[in-house]
Amino acid sequence: MGNPVKIVMIEDDEGHARLIERNIRRSGVNNDIIPFATGTEAVNYLFGADGTADQHKGQALLILLDLNLPDMTGIDILKRVKANATLKSAPVVVLTTTDDAHEIKRCYELGCNVYITKPVNYENFANAIRQLGLFFSVIQVPPVKA
Amino acid sequence: MTLEAARLRTVWQVGLMTAGFLILVAISAASLYLGHRARTGSLWVTHTIEVESQIGVVQLQLQRAESAVRGFLLTQDKSYRTGFEQAEALIAPSISRLKELTQDNPVEQNNIATLEKLVKQRLQFFHAVIPDIDSGRIDQARAALMKSSQGDEMSHLLDIARDMRAEENRLFELRTEAADRSQALNVMVTVVGSGFIVLLAILSILLLRTSARARNRAEVRLRDINLNLESAVDERTVDLREANQEIQRFAYIVSHDLRSPLVNIMGFTSELEELRGDIFSRIARYSRAAADRPPPAASDGSVDELALAPEDQKLSEEFSEALGFIKSSIGKMDRLISAILKLTREGRREFNPVHLDMHALVQEITNSMTHQATEANAQINIEPLPNMVSDRLALEQIFSNLIENALKFLRNDIPGEISIRGRTKLGFAVYEVTDNGRGIDPNDHDRIFDLFRRAGTQDKPGQGIGLAHVRALVRRLGGSITVSSELDKGSTFTITLPAQWKLSTQGKSYG
Repeated sequence: MGNPVKIVMIEDDEGHARLIERNIRRSGVNNDIIPFATGTEAVNYLFGADGTADQHKGQALLILLDLNLPDMTGIDILKRVKANATLKSAPVVVLTTTDDAHEIKRCYELGCNVYITKPVNYENFANAIRQLGLFFSVIQVPPVKA
Repeated sequence: MTLEAARLRTVWQVGLMTAGFLILVAISAASLYLGHRARTGSLWVTHTIEVESQIGVVQLQLQRAESAVRGFLLTQDKSYRTGFEQAEALIAPSISRLKELTQDNPVEQNNIATLEKLVKQRLQFFHAVIPDIDSGRIDQARAALMKSSQGDEMSHLLDIARDMRAEENRLFELRTEAADRSQALNVMVTVVGSGFIVLLAILSILLLRTSARARNRAEVRLRDINLNLESAVDERTVDLREANQEIQRFAYIVSHDLRSPLVNIMGFTSELEELRGDIFSRIARYSRAAADRPPPAASDGSVDELALAPEDQKLSEEFSEALGFIKSSIGKMDRLISAILKLTREGRREFNPVHLDMHALVQEITNSMTHQATEANAQINIEPLPNMVSDRLALEQIFSNLIENALKFLRNDIPGEISIRGRTKLGFAVYEVTDNGRGIDPNDHDRIFDLFRRAGTQDKPGQGIGLAHVRALVRRLGGSITVSSELDKGSTFTITLPAQWKLSTQGKSYG
């Protein structure tokens, strides 16, 4: 594995963030998780001051995205990420409570890689994240274009 | 204008018209009558003149006779004698004619009688004189003639003639007067009558104008009201639709925002479970260490129940029980929220009306439930159903729900019989789903349609959303649903839907 994959987690609810983190860890994934509780902070980190995301050239990123953010919709972030030359190859996993078919379709249309509905049934959730973790530990996440 | 005033106006108008008409008739009759009278009067006038002329004729003839005699006396010419005879011949008929003309006038008749007598006398005298002249006794004849001309006879004749003329004049005057009066009356009646008619016409026109104006005003008002009504209805509809959409959004948002913390609760409850496992494992380990017992072979972190002291075990079980209740409640909450979300999503879905073969639709549904039917030992019987134009998915959901309920709430002791019937009525399609199941208490007939409410013995799965959903759908389609049922006597759900779903009467989304 080249650069270790950094997991960018954009989730406003502390509890959800904690659950996600614990499950990722429990499934054996030890990569760095960088949490953001607001869309603005996440966007600043991802795109930098100049908005080009140049600082991430050469990095491997995985974005966990919640759609219900307080200051902007996750869809907007998804759009921007997929429109940015540097970031568009980073896989985006949308994790959200919405299970509206329209929303799901839209996310896939905009280029998200996986859409997981946060179920209340924790076991499935945990399993899903675990699977995701194993999945990511097995495959090679392509490094972000240099 | 009030109804009463309008009626009064109508009465007035009819009255005026009738009065005008009657006056016209009266004028015409009066004219005819007076005209007739005038003509009669004229005839009488002519008559009078005729009589007078006839009197003159008689006088003339008598005078001629006399002249003839005198001429004869003077010239002894035979032609004068012939002349006399001619004149004489004419006198009698003239007098009869005069008699005829004055038949109705007794005064005149008297006069004529006297006249006749006098004329006869005169003629007799002439007849007496003529032979004298014939035989040449001229002087004698002359003397007789002279004597008679000074006599009373002539002046009496003149008097009679004058009297008769006077009488006729009198009559003439009377009749002329009468004729004039008739004429004057005629004119007056016509003028007055016409005046009345003109007046009535004017009144009529005024009334008509008032009527027309009142009607115009009413029309304008009606149009205004209609416009207002339409815009009011539109406003209300828009308001209603907005309100409903708000409710939809509200329900949606609430469900979502409720789900989020639920995820946390569930997630951390599971965490608690894990932690519980770890805690009680350590307790078990400490108690074993304290009791000097060997560590268990398995070391996967699971709680070794047997290693726990009774008190500790009890704690563990209570812990588990508490967590169990929390988890089941959360599960229930999640199901409820899902149900609400589904309902609101349905409420926003746009309807797509197509022609539906209802029998085929229901048959499909029944086929898909064959398994449940067999398990419930029930038979579903579908009778010919009227077709309709509506949203396929909505109808499928409605019937699925009803048939599922029918299968769920059967009686345990008798095989289930479910039948689906339908008929059309005044542009509506009426469907009935009947079962012979456990029935519904009349007190609960309204309840069962409420969200999350059920009735009767709670031994079957479900959250109480089926009928709420059905009712929402039916309402959106512009129809209604009712239930008729008694405990242990089965139930019949009757759905009435417009046979042709129209966009205008129902909103595209819940409205």
